[in-house]
Amino acid sequence: MSTSSWVDEFARWTIRHAAHRASQPLAERLEEEWLADLEARPDGWSRLLLGIGCCWAATVIVQEDIAPVVTAATTTGNKVMSSYASTNGSLVPQRTTALALIMGLHVVLFFAFATGLGPRMIRALPPAIIGTVLEAPKDPPAPPPVSKPTFRDPQFVIPEIIPLVDVPADTEATIHTTPAPVPTTETLPPPGPPQPVHRVLGNAGKGFPNSADYYPPSAIRMNETGIALVQVCVNSKGYLTGTPAIAKSSGSPRLDEGAVKLARAGSGHYRPTMENGQPVDSCFPLDINFTLK
Amino acid sequence: MSLQTLRVLEAFLENPTDELSGADVQKRSSLASGTLYPILLRLESAGWFVSRWEAIDPSSVGRPRRRLYRLTPSGLTRATEVFASFSFSRGVPT
Repeated sequence: MSTSSWVDEFARWTIRHAAHRASQPLAERLEEEWLADLEARPDGWSRLLLGIGCCWAATVIVQEDIAPVVTAATTTGNKVMSSYASTNGSLVPQRTTALALIMGLHVVLFFAFATGLGPRMIRALPPAIIGTVLEAPKDPPAPPPVSKPTFRDPQFVIPEIIPLVDVPADTEATIHTTPAPVPTTETLPPPGPPQPVHRVLGNAGKGFPNSADYYPPSAIRMNETGIALVQVCVNSKGYLTGTPAIAKSSGSPRLDEGAVKLARAGSGHYRPTMENGQPVDSCFPLDINFTLK
Repeated sequence: MSLQTLRVLEAFLENPTDELSGADVQKRSSLASGTLYPILLRLESAGWFVSRWEAIDPSSVGRPRRRLYRLTPSGLTRATEVFASFSFSRGVPT
């Protein structure tokens, strides 16, 4: 069987199958009508398309339950035509609307992926789990073979016996002793008067934050002002060495909290305490003034 | 009324007295068969068309008989009205 005849047979089978989905009087008519139209088709491809199209047509006919009754239509033609025209009054059929919706959905998806949705999804995906096969631990090297111990018979040496000889005892003994050192008292010079230390307490230095930046908004709304005394410990380079603490409250817990935050933020911008011109580690109180303009 | 239906009507209005088979209408309207045949049946059910079998002897002609469709007088009137209501002449809705 050649390809074209096979296609023709398939198209005929499709048309018969499709036509018989309709009710019986109509099914025979559709089969004969569609098979006759199939003969008018010039090539196998167009016949195959007709067969597929008839499948779709049968589906629509069955779904809509279309059953032409010619005799009835001639008598009540105007009434039926009016109802037909009114029910199918849209210029755009439903299939076209569905097709447009599907195309629109594709356009939206394409636009979303083109504008970065894809990379974001890829970034959101968990990284690939890469498995590594661990090698089994090698057996430790075998210890060198231990030679069997050899035992030898112990050899005992018996010392010779020396005969005792009488020796005369000394009559005088001379004992040489070294005299013990005599403690002496050393007189140190009296200490002089203590040297005066020139000490300049540390303070806020260059670049220290402004108190206005740490003015608590709640305190501003409540028109709270005051001066908080914060005890800070600063090293010789102007950095905090401990947590600032309120030494004297401003009277407002909100302002005190803002003062501590300000003191903490100023680490690195303190001027250290100077002793004899040298910066030293120290703790000192710092006044933080909150005023409203 | 869909554009496809209008194209079927337009195929018949070229010469309202013609009797056309489904294959002829398809050539004139360029509609797919899955769309064309339900429209023909709907219009026939609504009384716009009548159909009959071709009066030939298939054995002598060498092909099966075709189903021929024709506009009814009322169908012709309504089709003309429909085209007039869209305010364009035949040939525009493609």
